Amino acid sequence: MTWLKLVEGYMPMQMITELAVCILFFSICNYLLKKAGIGVPKFWAGILVWCFVNLFYLKYRIYPPIPFSVRAIYGTVSACGIFMWVSGSQEEWLEFKRPIINVLDGNNFFTKSIRTVLLLLLPIGLGAFAYNSLLPSFEEPIELRTVHPAPPATTKVHGKTYVLQTAQQPYRIDTDGKYDPAYSNAHIVDQSMGRLMKDVNSAEDNPWDPNAKGYIKHVREGGEIFFQNCHFCHGDNLNGRGLWAFAFNPIPANFTDAGTIAQLQETFVFWRVAKGGIGLPGEGFPWASVMPPWEQHLTVDEIWKVIMFEYWHTGYYPRTWD
Amino acid sequence: MNKMQPTNTEYLGTTRELMNRQQLTHQRRPGMTASLLAVGVLLVGLGVSSPALAQEAEGFVTGTLPAPAPAEQVEAGKRVYFTKCVWCHGVNGSGDGPGADRLWPRPRNFNAGTFKIRHTASGELPLIDVDLLQTVTHGLPGSAMPSWEGILNEQQRKDVLAFVTTELVQDRSWQDEEFEELHILELEKLSGAAVPPSAESIKRGSELVVENKCIECHGLEGRGDGNAFNLKDDWGFSIQPADWHKCWNFRGSRQDAYNVKNIFRTFSTGINGTPMPSFADNTSIEDRWHIANYVQSLCERDKDVDIAGGQVTDEIAAELLAAKPRGIDPLTDKPKVNFVIPSKFAEGELPKDEHDPRWYDERWEKEGRRIVAIGGQITHKPRNFVNRIDDIWVQSMYNETHVTMMFRWDDRTKSIQEDEVDWDPYEVNLADYGIVEQEPGGSQFDDDTTHPDSIAAKQTSYQVFNDGLAFQMPIKFQELPAPRKPRYFWGDEGFPVDIAKWTADGNLMAYEGTGWDQDLEDRDDFTEQLTLDKAEWKDGRWTVIISRPLKADYEADTYIELGKYIPINFFVWDGHNGDVGRKMGVSAFYYLVLEPPIPSEAKWYAGLAAVGLVIVEGWILTRRSNRRKEQGAS
Repeated sequence: MTWLKLVEGYMPMQMITELAVCILFFSICNYLLKKAGIGVPKFWAGILVWCFVNLFYLKYRIYPPIPFSVRAIYGTVSACGIFMWVSGSQEEWLEFKRPIINVLDGNNFFTKSIRTVLLLLLPIGLGAFAYNSLLPSFEEPIELRTVHPAPPATTKVHGKTYVLQTAQQPYRIDTDGKYDPAYSNAHIVDQSMGRLMKDVNSAEDNPWDPNAKGYIKHVREGGEIFFQNCHFCHGDNLNGRGLWAFAFNPIPANFTDAGTIAQLQETFVFWRVAKGGIGLPGEGFPWASVMPPWEQHLTVDEIWKVIMFEYWHTGYYPRTWD
Repeated sequence: MNKMQPTNTEYLGTTRELMNRQQLTHQRRPGMTASLLAVGVLLVGLGVSSPALAQEAEGFVTGTLPAPAPAEQVEAGKRVYFTKCVWCHGVNGSGDGPGADRLWPRPRNFNAGTFKIRHTASGELPLIDVDLLQTVTHGLPGSAMPSWEGILNEQQRKDVLAFVTTELVQDRSWQDEEFEELHILELEKLSGAAVPPSAESIKRGSELVVENKCIECHGLEGRGDGNAFNLKDDWGFSIQPADWHKCWNFRGSRQDAYNVKNIFRTFSTGINGTPMPSFADNTSIEDRWHIANYVQSLCERDKDVDIAGGQVTDEIAAELLAAKPRGIDPLTDKPKVNFVIPSKFAEGELPKDEHDPRWYDERWEKEGRRIVAIGGQITHKPRNFVNRIDDIWVQSMYNETHVTMMFRWDDRTKSIQEDEVDWDPYEVNLADYGIVEQEPGGSQFDDDTTHPDSIAAKQTSYQVFNDGLAFQMPIKFQELPAPRKPRYFWGDEGFPVDIAKWTADGNLMAYEGTGWDQDLEDRDDFTEQLTLDKAEWKDGRWTVIISRPLKADYEADTYIELGKYIPINFFVWDGHNGDVGRKMGVSAFYYLVLEPPIPSEAKWYAGLAAVGLVIVEGWILTRRSNRRKEQGAS
């Protein structure tokens, strides 16, 4: 389904809305059919809704695919919901189980033949299923890694020791050169759709303005470093979808996701950037990450600037102690 | 603007002259260029033209030039441009932003109004709200240009195009009624009457690509290995012919890789600014569909069909037609990756070449050869920002004593090192020998692409090293405390790896790796046990088959066991790209698994389950009929 895209960040809302619209549609159809005197028996309606949600919607509509174990949970929950619906009153429950009883009894030729077919097919199906599940299958083993491990108290970069609790971003300064997080936070991109700069004609908002100085000028310098070094993996929109993002595993961090830099302190990011994948503690799987230890490629100033660019471009503030 | 201008703008005279120039581009053939140019100049000079030249090519209609974009829209687009685009395309839209020098293909220089993917005739401006909008929406796969759908809404995408086409395209204008015309390919209408893919059409297409000399650049099997390393675009930057086997990398694939329409369009309109001409004037619409069907059929599928150097017979055409497209991952717009590489049991001798039928038997139908995605090595210096090999295909088999792996990957150039080098093969720190990474943007010779120190000149004048391939597996992986692995990059301290490295000069060596900056350790005893069964470069593709014993020396080697997940990762070098040492392509961790035979219990348990269900059924039915009897009695 390429014509209707799930939009990043809005996916849960989209899913719930779509499912609600579908259920509403089913209800209306059901009502209209009933009015027309060709109502669908509850037995079949329940099976239809369950199949639609679990075998079609959750399986094919959602991407990346939901693991089978999670779909099994949804399947159970939705089956419970449908049972509650069909067993609202004694008559409804009897109506629901009538087709099953009819087949079990096999009173006429039609139900008798269905019963015979089912009696034969069910054991064969179960046998085939058992055989298939006993075949050796080799899925990729699941290994859980900690994405944001606990940081150390200090980190030593280019011969200088930084205390993560007290170190400060040296370029978060206003036009007078004073440290001013409130000023810089006021000039990040507009967080609304598309994350665009606030005013392209203002030297305080546009990093490319020839008169840009202080914070916004350093944002541009950080951006230049980002687009010479980082975008190959973290992507042109900082969403972790660069050219080579999917050749690597773990995949690169998505900075536009509220769960990455928006949740972290700037000094934590500084430690992660400077030390890279190889500097992760064991629970972060340092052996698998291709994230470079940037101290091998960039100066301390360049690292601070590129971090500031990441916050500017995504429109997030770093977390602070207060 | 004092940037270099592409040559085509110099010709811009009357429309008729433009058509003449297109005609020249269409028919450009080696050896004929000079004489045709002379005739063209003569025609233009005398003001003479043949009426045929001004005629509409088959399948095109004359379009109208668009109205200028409103100033507010241009202003809104400027805001988008300076937030998102300027970083690669540059302040003046000259394709020289900070990111440009480390990108290949380079970001587009908008100034000349030369755009690659269009519905308009060769040399003409593109349709802004169709061609350019599709480019921004779907991105240009195979380059760094991403899809902006879902990031910018449609209005924002249109706004930024208004800014680019009004302010940054400087040498031409969509409002220039004197010099500009639009002849638009009626793709939708023509697709309605498309020649459906069939064995005959595919076979006819394979003949037409020879007649139309497509193979001169694209190679006999279409892997882009013709005169591959010497082509340049209008600005003098290195450019390579498309590899037809990777349709997901076609710039014009529009996130719909296997769609034959995209190929038909590119073939009909050509790619402006590159040596790819339009074939609209000298091929009929029917022939264009045949070619598109053939090219599309070559894109990698579930089965690796041998097309015998482009000599497509009826049988080959039928096989191409029957093979199913690979699943494309919508997150990457590339084939889906599976990190498990299955190795299947082979009776007797292991296969020694790629024609062995056991590589193609029915066991591979469900899950065939695996694609291993390759990225540039960008962790440690010297980094490789341009990896010209972006995937390798791996297949494996084993018998009682040995395991073999067949690697096949597309490489447009066969590279064998000719000059002596100063370092030994086991050395890895080559910075001392002058192997450095590409400097970041802002090269002072960006304006002059003919200067020997310019990036354009450097792109085509690398010292040629050996093509190569290596894979690493942990030594004693059985003893690794899960999930610990040796580092992906040649292991690390305390966690050594076993590296097998093949180079195109015919060497296959075993090394022990203990870290990314530690020289490899030669392992002569194990080198003797590795076998290079095949290493052949043919029509733009390497086939390398390497086999090794399952169990060699446990203390110093990977000891391969059935059914175990053995971490493995791959490294690949393209010698013509200047790849050597750490400048290479790398993969993530994959797992090699030797699939054990089906256990005999499987059948027993399945039978047991079925019998069990029969008993349960009997019980339910008896109970039900008893109940009915009771009901009947009462």
